[in-house]
Amino acid sequence: MSKANDVAVTGAKVRKTITNIIVHVILAILAFIWVLPIFWVVLTSFRGEKGSYVTTFFPQTYTINNYVKLFKDTTILNFPRMFMNTFVIAIFTCIISTIFVCSVSYCMSRMRFKMRRPFMNIAMVLGLFPGFMSMVAVYYILKALNMSEGSMIPIALVVVFSAGTGLGFYVAKGFFDTIPKSLDEAAIIDGATRWKIFTNVTIPLSKPIIVYTILTSFMSPWIDFLFAKVICRADAKYYTVSIGLWKMLEKEYIDNWYTSFAAGAVLVSIPIAILFLMTQKFYVEGMSGAVKG
Amino acid sequence: MKKKVLAVLLASAMVASLVGCGGETQEAPAQTEEETTDDAEAEAEAPAETTDEAEAEAPAEEEAITATITVWGPSEDQSADAGNWLPTMCEQFAAQHPSWDLTFEYGVCAEGDAKATITQDVEGAADVYMLANDNIPELVAANALAELGGSYLDAVTSTNADSIIASVTYNDSVWAFPFTSNTWFMYYDKSVFTEDDVKSLDTMLEKGKVSFPLSNSWYIQAFYVANGATIFGDGTDEAAGINFGGENAVAATDYLVDLVANANFINDQDGAGIAGLRDGSVNAIFSGTWDAASVQEALGDNMGVAALPTANIGGNAGQLKSFMGSKAVGVNPNCENMEVAMALAAYLASEEAQMAHYELRNVLPSNTNITLADDAIATAVTNTMVSTSIMQPVVSSMGNYWSPAENMGKALVAGEITHDNAAEKTEEMNTAMNTDVAQ
Repeated sequence: MSKANDVAVTGAKVRKTITNIIVHVILAILAFIWVLPIFWVVLTSFRGEKGSYVTTFFPQTYTINNYVKLFKDTTILNFPRMFMNTFVIAIFTCIISTIFVCSVSYCMSRMRFKMRRPFMNIAMVLGLFPGFMSMVAVYYILKALNMSEGSMIPIALVVVFSAGTGLGFYVAKGFFDTIPKSLDEAAIIDGATRWKIFTNVTIPLSKPIIVYTILTSFMSPWIDFLFAKVICRADAKYYTVSIGLWKMLEKEYIDNWYTSFAAGAVLVSIPIAILFLMTQKFYVEGMSGAVKG
Repeated sequence: MKKKVLAVLLASAMVASLVGCGGETQEAPAQTEEETTDDAEAEAEAPAETTDEAEAEAPAEEEAITATITVWGPSEDQSADAGNWLPTMCEQFAAQHPSWDLTFEYGVCAEGDAKATITQDVEGAADVYMLANDNIPELVAANALAELGGSYLDAVTSTNADSIIASVTYNDSVWAFPFTSNTWFMYYDKSVFTEDDVKSLDTMLEKGKVSFPLSNSWYIQAFYVANGATIFGDGTDEAAGINFGGENAVAATDYLVDLVANANFINDQDGAGIAGLRDGSVNAIFSGTWDAASVQEALGDNMGVAALPTANIGGNAGQLKSFMGSKAVGVNPNCENMEVAMALAAYLASEEAQMAHYELRNVLPSNTNITLADDAIATAVTNTMVSTSIMQPVVSSMGNYWSPAENMGKALVAGEITHDNAAEKTEEMNTAMNTDVAQ
C-alpha cells in the first residue's frame, strides 16, 4: 500500500517536473524572441561597418562613433535639439496628463451624477476611434488658435499629447474602485473635503497606477510620429526624435545614418528607463497596510 | 436638465470665443516684435546694400516692397557644413534687389516630401519651395503651384534640355524652375569590368557580380522599356495608357526570370548593393547621385560611372532605360508677394545658383550652359539623360504604375514567377497598371 502511494507520489512529481520543463522551454524561447530585436538594435548601434545591409548578425568591428556622430554631426539632423525638444514636451505632457487621468478617474469612481454613465459610454466609444483620424482636424484647430507656427509648436504638441488623455481613465478608475469606500467615509467623519480625500487618502494608496500613468504618458511624445510630423511640418527647429529617426532612414541618409539611427533608438530608451527605475519602488509597494484590522 | 445642457452649451460657446480673442491679442505683440527685429536687420544690412548698389543691375523702377518670404528646402541646403547654399543664395538675391526689403524664413522639407507637406495646408505653406517633379500633378490639383509665364518661361525653356522641360510640364503648362536632374545610372568596379564590358549587362554578369534593385518599381521598368514597352506614349499622353503587355513584355519577364536565377545577380534591397561594394561581393550597382560619396569611399580609384548597359532580351540587344525626372523650385500661388516669390524662385534655379549648388553640394546643374566635362558623374548623367532614359511621366494616372510593378519585382525575386506563368503574370501586371485604383 505504502509502496503504491510512493509510486503515485513520484509519478506526480515526474509529471510536475515535465510540465515545468515544457513551460520553461516555451518561456525561454519566447523570451529569446522578444529580446532578440532589442539586442540587435543595441548591437547595430555599436556596429563599425557602415550601411544598412549586413551579412552577419554580430558586427565585425565595434565602435562608439555612431553615438558621437549623433551629437557632433548636427547641421543636417540636429539630434541633441530633437532630444531636448522631446524631453521637455514629455515632462510637461507627463505632469498634465497624469493630473487629468487621476482627476477624471477619481470623479468617475467616487462621485455619482446624472451624466456619469452616459459620459463613461461616450468615452468608451470615442476611445475606440484611432487618434490619427482627427490628425488634420487637430492641425486646423491649432492653426485657428495661432498655435501652428514658431515657438507655439512645442506648446501645441504638449496640448495634443495631454489634452485627450483624461478619456483614458478606465484603468485608473478600476484601481480607485478597489480602494475601500470606508476609508473615504472615515475621512469625511474626520472633516475632510473631497479634495483632501483625493490628495491625502486616494493618491497615497494608488501609487502603482499613478506610476503606470506617468510612465505611459511620458512615453507618448517619444513614440508618436504622426502628430509631431503634422504639427511641426517644415519647422525643423521643433522636430521631435521620432521625426529625426524617420529622416535618418530616407534614401539620402540611410547609408550614412543607419547605425546612428540604432544609436538614437537606444538613447531614446534611456530617459524612459531612468524614470522607470526611479518610480519602480512605488510600483510594487501597492496597498500594503492600507486598512488595519 | 434641458436648461442645464443649454447653459453648458452657452458656457462652452463663450469659452470658445474667449479663447479666440485670446489668440488674437497674443498675436498682436508677436507681430510688433517681428517688425522691430525686421527693422533691426534692415538697419544692419543697410550699409552693405549701399556698397552693393553701385554694382547691382536691378532696374531702377522697381517699386519698394517689404516682404517676408518663406522658403522651404532640404536640410542639406541649410547646413553650415555644406555651405549654407539656400540662405546664401537668398541673401545674394536680396542684395540684387536693393529696393526690396526682404526677410527670409526657412523651413525644412525634402524635395520628395513637398507633396505631402505642402498639400496638408497650402495657404500656410512656404511661398517658394523645392519639389521633385513627380509631385507636380498633386501640387497643381491642390492649387499649390503657380504657372510660369513670360520671361520666366523663356528662361526655363532656353536653358534646359527638352527632357528636363518636359519633366516640369503638366497639362501643357510649365509649373516650376528645374535645377537638377533626378535619375539613376551605374556605378561599377573598374578592376573587374572594362569600359567595353559595361555596355552589356550580359557580359557584365559573366565577369562579375551585379546588383540591381529589381523589387523597386523606380528601376524595374528599365527591362520592359528596353524591349519596347511604353508608358503613356512618349510620357505625356495619358490616354495612351501603360503598355506593359504583349509578347515584348513577356520576353522581358522571361529575361528577368533567368536574371534572378543567375548566380552573379544580387537583388539590391535594404542597402545590399552598397554593402556588397564595400566588402567586394558586388562589382556593380545601379543608383543615383545620392550614393556617389559612399561609392567613392567603397571603391576609391576603381570607381567607374556609366550610363545604363544593354540587355539581350528575346534575341535583341535592348537598351535599358531609367526614369528621368528633375528637382525644381516652385512658387505657391497663395503667397502675398507673387512678384518677389517668382523672382526668387527663378534666381534659385539660375545658372549662378546652380553653379554654387554644384560647388557646395555636388548637385549636378540642369542648365545647358554649364558644362562639366571632367566630372565623371556629370558625364554619366548627361549620357543617361541623352540616350538611356525615358521621361518619368508627369500624369496623374502614373500613380497606378508603382504597386503592380513593385509586386512583379518582388514575385520575381521570390521565385514565384517562372517561364511557365510569365505570360499570365505579365498580363495581370499590365491589367493592374491600367486599372484606376481610385475608381
